[in-house]
Amino acid sequence: MATTDTPRASRDEPLLDVRDLQIELITEHGVVRAVDGVSFAIDSGETVTIIGESGSGKSTTAMGILRLLPDGLAVISGTARISGVDTVANPGAMPKILGRKVSLIPQDPMTALSPVHTVGRQLGEAIRLRHPELSKAEARARGIELLERVRISKPESRWASYPHQLSGGMLQRVLIAIALAAEPVLLVADEPTSALDVTVQAGILDLLLELQERTGIGILMITHDLGVARLVSDRIHVMRDGHFVESGPVEQVVDAPTEPYTQKLLAAVPVLGPWDESTVTEEAGR
Amino acid sequence: MVRYLARRLGQSLLTIFLTVSTVFVLVRLAPGDPATSYAGPNATTEDLARIREQFGLDDSVFAQYLIFLRDLFTGDLGTSYSFHAPAFDVVMDRLPYTTTLAISAIALTTVVAVPLGVWMARRADTNREIGANIVTIAGQSMPDFWSGVMLLTAFAVLIPVLPSSGFTTWGGLVLPTITVAILQMALISRLVRREMAGALASPYITVARSRGVSERALTWRYGLRNSAIPVLTALGTRFAALLNGVVVVEVVFGWPGVGSLVVRALETRDYPLIQATVLVTAALAILVQLLIDLAYPLLDPRVRLGKAA
Repeated sequence: MATTDTPRASRDEPLLDVRDLQIELITEHGVVRAVDGVSFAIDSGETVTIIGESGSGKSTTAMGILRLLPDGLAVISGTARISGVDTVANPGAMPKILGRKVSLIPQDPMTALSPVHTVGRQLGEAIRLRHPELSKAEARARGIELLERVRISKPESRWASYPHQLSGGMLQRVLIAIALAAEPVLLVADEPTSALDVTVQAGILDLLLELQERTGIGILMITHDLGVARLVSDRIHVMRDGHFVESGPVEQVVDAPTEPYTQKLLAAVPVLGPWDESTVTEEAGR
Repeated sequence: MVRYLARRLGQSLLTIFLTVSTVFVLVRLAPGDPATSYAGPNATTEDLARIREQFGLDDSVFAQYLIFLRDLFTGDLGTSYSFHAPAFDVVMDRLPYTTTLAISAIALTTVVAVPLGVWMARRADTNREIGANIVTIAGQSMPDFWSGVMLLTAFAVLIPVLPSSGFTTWGGLVLPTITVAILQMALISRLVRREMAGALASPYITVARSRGVSERALTWRYGLRNSAIPVLTALGTRFAALLNGVVVVEVVFGWPGVGSLVVRALETRDYPLIQATVLVTAALAILVQLLIDLAYPLLDPRVRLGKAA
């Protein structure tokens, strides 16, 4: 049970169309098939989530599509079309895709920016990569606008800040601003809230959904968090050991899972229920 | 910042003082007698006694030390026994040769080793990189007296394009510079490779690549810039070491620097000259180290001087 998304009958080509993607990673222990024949598609305005435990191959899928896995260590086959360009067959086309059509929102905002360059330098660079015709001052003006759009207070002063001077939540907003600088059609969010406090997570997800509503961007969400998946997704693919074990609209997968693995995954989510005295000592004893 | 500088200068002066004091005692504990080497093999006992008195070597080491300190604070480092001139002036006469060789060797090292290390990091574990790696290991293992003599044989004797010794023309700088730089290049290129490989594997590189930053910018703007502190520290430390003189190379090439001066001072037990050399080279090394430390906050905004990391 690997493929569920048959090509859709839409006039336009999907933003992302992945078919029978296989990724083999060369590790010290030999060759590992991390992704074993997954297929899915994302249309504009849609959020598709790949959910799975760590090691299931979900991040490898995302990074493989973007050709961000180390060249010598990953062997990719199948097709992955971003706006019609197959990144598997044409790795040479990536410079026209990365930072132009697709942006990545990374997992850990604390390590995702160069520590020795200012936020403005890195955001300004992203803007001028997309619009080389802009002067530095124009890029700065646009960058401050973007920082405002991701709701960073005092954007003018943040422009000159170094990453270590900002909090994790703020850095993730900066990274979203950098992602938006590319004016992408597709956003790949690789566990965008995993490294953040729970209170900050909701704000970041709200921001992503709001931006999607406004721009019609497509989002590929990678997460292990069912709460995140339920909140943002149109469709969900449950991934395990390199395969999709169950795929479908969010309501169907979450409310009426058919696969035992999905059911187990759902059962593992803690539920707020009535206070149970008997479990307290047990929990505390751990 | 001012407090930091004041504290660092205080520490530096203390370090120099302790170094010079230690050397003062050690040279007097070591076997050998300045008077014997000064007077030559035919000197009589009376000659020796007269010379010892003249040099103030009759007093106890402690008394000599007090006199040394008194003179030190008036800026007098004593008179060299063998040069019959103020020891400090003798050292300062030689110092330009040493600094010239040190600067030119470190410049050559930087120009060659940094790009080489970057190249090796970019192509880690390819056949060509492994080849380069072997070359650097060879460079690291080559003794400088041997490489110096080989270079002399090749470029001053077999193909006589460069002078074999001395520093009368700029050409005379070429072979000593290369000889000194071979080891430095090997060490620094391997360090750059290691630091760069670490930096290039950082998440911010992947994220920058994902936003379309070119590989060239990733390498130089992100990778090398983030490796700058350890690389600069290593270059500075090597430079400071070279300022102490490179004895073997100076001897091989007849280079009139501090290194060959130290050898002569030690041979003749020229105490004031040994002390003056140590004082000057220690002060220089400490100054270089201070300058490197002052550069840290410019290279990494997370570093604040005077605050524990």
